[in-house]
Amino acid sequence: MAEAGTATADALARLLAGNEGCDPARLVPLPFPYEDWRDEAIPPLTESQRARIEPGPDGVSAAQIPIPGGEEERERLVAGFLDGLRKLLTRENNWTFLQPLLLSMENCVKCQTCAEACPIYTGSGRMEVYRPTFRAEILRKIVARHLKPAGRLFPGLRGHDIELDWETVVKLAELSYRCTLCRRCAQACPVGLDNGLITREIRKLFSQELGIHMPELHEKGTVKQLEVGSSTGLNRAGLADIMEFAEEDIREKTGLDIKIPFDVEGAEYLVMHNAGEFLSWPENLQAFAVILELAGVSWTLSSELVGYDSVNYGLFYDDVQYARVALKHYEVAKKLGVEKMMVGECGHAHKALMPIADRLIPDSLRVRTESCLVVLEDIVVNEKILLDPSRNDFPVTLHDPCNITRSMGIVQPQRNILARVAPRFREMEPHGVSNYCCGGGSGFAICSSLNFGEWRTRVSGRVKLRQILEAFSDCIEPETKKYLCAPCSNCKGQMRDLLGYYDAWNRCGILYGGLVELIVNAMVDVREGFIEWNLH
Amino acid sequence: MAGEVLLGWVAVGLVVFVLGCGWRAWRYRSAPVHLRWDLYPVAHEPKARREHGGSYLEEKEWWKKPRERSLWGELLAMLGEIVLLQGVRENNRRLWRASLPFHWGLYLLVVTSLGIFAAALGWNGPGARLVLGVAGGAGGLLLALGAGGLLALRSADAKLKPYTTPLDRLNLGVLLVLGALSASIALSEGGVLGAATALADTARGRPAPIPPLVAVHAAVGALFLFYLPFTRMVHLFAKYFTYHKVRWDDEPLEPGSPMARRLRAALEYGVDWSAEHVGAGRSWGEVATSLPPAETKGGE
Repeated sequence: MAEAGTATADALARLLAGNEGCDPARLVPLPFPYEDWRDEAIPPLTESQRARIEPGPDGVSAAQIPIPGGEEERERLVAGFLDGLRKLLTRENNWTFLQPLLLSMENCVKCQTCAEACPIYTGSGRMEVYRPTFRAEILRKIVARHLKPAGRLFPGLRGHDIELDWETVVKLAELSYRCTLCRRCAQACPVGLDNGLITREIRKLFSQELGIHMPELHEKGTVKQLEVGSSTGLNRAGLADIMEFAEEDIREKTGLDIKIPFDVEGAEYLVMHNAGEFLSWPENLQAFAVILELAGVSWTLSSELVGYDSVNYGLFYDDVQYARVALKHYEVAKKLGVEKMMVGECGHAHKALMPIADRLIPDSLRVRTESCLVVLEDIVVNEKILLDPSRNDFPVTLHDPCNITRSMGIVQPQRNILARVAPRFREMEPHGVSNYCCGGGSGFAICSSLNFGEWRTRVSGRVKLRQILEAFSDCIEPETKKYLCAPCSNCKGQMRDLLGYYDAWNRCGILYGGLVELIVNAMVDVREGFIEWNLH
Repeated sequence: MAGEVLLGWVAVGLVVFVLGCGWRAWRYRSAPVHLRWDLYPVAHEPKARREHGGSYLEEKEWWKKPRERSLWGELLAMLGEIVLLQGVRENNRRLWRASLPFHWGLYLLVVTSLGIFAAALGWNGPGARLVLGVAGGAGGLLLALGAGGLLALRSADAKLKPYTTPLDRLNLGVLLVLGALSASIALSEGGVLGAATALADTARGRPAPIPPLVAVHAAVGALFLFYLPFTRMVHLFAKYFTYHKVRWDDEPLEPGSPMARRLRAALEYGVDWSAEHVGAGRSWGEVATSLPPAETKGGE
């Protein structure tokens, strides 16, 4: 890595242009039983990949940006980037986030207080390109130098002597996919600025102007969702099969005969699940059905296009795609005539359907929306189902999804539930609104292309793993089965890969799962053993 | 004549400062209403929720319940930030040791400046001498110490150095000089009140000899005021917006409210993003309610 010794934009530009991977020896150390754990370096792109794709300054590629073919294409890329940057700073093209963006762009005092709050920066062993202010600072310098009327006056003195070429543009785009938008840095900023927002706005610029995005978020994400109905590719026929299987499974596992309701007009709740649950963690869908049915809640799922998948990856990279998906969700609810929507265990869907959508949904489509955690708290605390917490006689810890806690302030309901169903519950430190991201936030959990999966488990999830191990340090031996409760689909996706890579099931006996599974596991009216103790 | 020129320069500095800050604040204030981007803990939540960083979204059917807002919570958080620089204190104790005297120095020098105006209007008894002397002297000393500390940190600390521009050092250098001059004036024979009287006499058309230290201080101070609004030092008021209009802005939309009207207007803005999937050339409302045009494999 280039030395960041001088106080000019040149030093940052050199780092940006670098191509040096994360040194595994510098990764944050893990506690027992991982003192002897040795990570291999993240594999670089293969020669054939490298011939087509320009990676980030760390040699990793998430956005899979093709190398421009010739001089003309390179110039077009730079010009397009500057055009996009101009648009990003106008009210017409960016009314959605202009005020917070301007504030964050123009007032950073570069005190670096945010850096130690970032799990990627600290987890990587403090790699400079992962510093929360790094990409923001590059962007500021480009704006100052190339967009401001007096940008060419005293660039050295003012510190924006940065030249812009296609490589800088591509590296910046890649770097916007090395932050999970967890906003822990924003919480630490004494001026109240948000590097997470700047990162999101960089992604947005590239997507909305240049059509550059992480394929898992766009082509395989929002585009597929709007076309097929779900980013998983699940269509109505597939959905019907899954539900039939789920009903059989519920019967087998719980002894209960439950029909999963679909398209019930006028129900109290339309439950919005992340369709990833249906395919990867069907027990979550089943547990919801068991709880809601036994508590006597009037609820339904939707079989409408987009209505059966609460995912909205637009939240992470593109306002236009975000708005299209959010409007679809509300249209479905309105059409069904339900009283309310209930967001299932998915953090980003919570944020996308609740606070962010709040100022976007027109009055004609407005439907009130609640978190499942609040509804479940009401059911559990008011004893609408019978519980025997001794059935959950194993250590449990809670992972707080950033979108639900830090970005929405829903912190206590899940704890009130755990107090009733998990007698051996212990908190991670820090927790609640100060939690650490799982490392799969902002869509990372669904991306494993090229060498990004390796980066995600070794770097972005490292601090979370340390937290999990520390929470269970008194019972870390594999003979004691432990439950990591992660009430969020994307977080679970990350946990699956993180615990899998570090072999945490065999080494430590740590299983991950949602909150509803724990509740059902403690329900008196359900056959014992709903939670299956095998990592999947 | 030199005295009048100096006062003219100070007046220019003040006018540019006021206009520049006003323009920056207006720019932030007049930005369109944005989508929510709240961040917890939010200071105006009632104590029971504020302590764990909770929000009204923790309540079942929150929309049927009266919104509780704690003004006291907001005031406490603001006071902590302004008086103690709580955020830096908690997260960056090393920097805080220099930043706290630096900011307190500035606060005291603002008090001193207001006192100088009051003195020019006739507040010139022993009380004025004491207040101006203490505020000007202590303020100058703290500012010089703080600016010196920050300058040293920014020059030596490997984490701060690459992000510190020559202009940042120059700014801190200017503030260090201003602090040192303030402290020197406070300790000089006539003190701050003497300087204030000399400036006031000159302003009234009775030119009085202005001590060189005072002249240099006024000239450099005015220069600082002149360019401050065009730097990130406007965080002195931008912080109001970052907290009250972004982090703590948890106001749910009420149909028919002024915010709803502003949002409807925003949906009429024309969109000209170039990526194919946007389908530009229409209003935001039209773009959001249409599906993306069919895309070719492998992106646009």
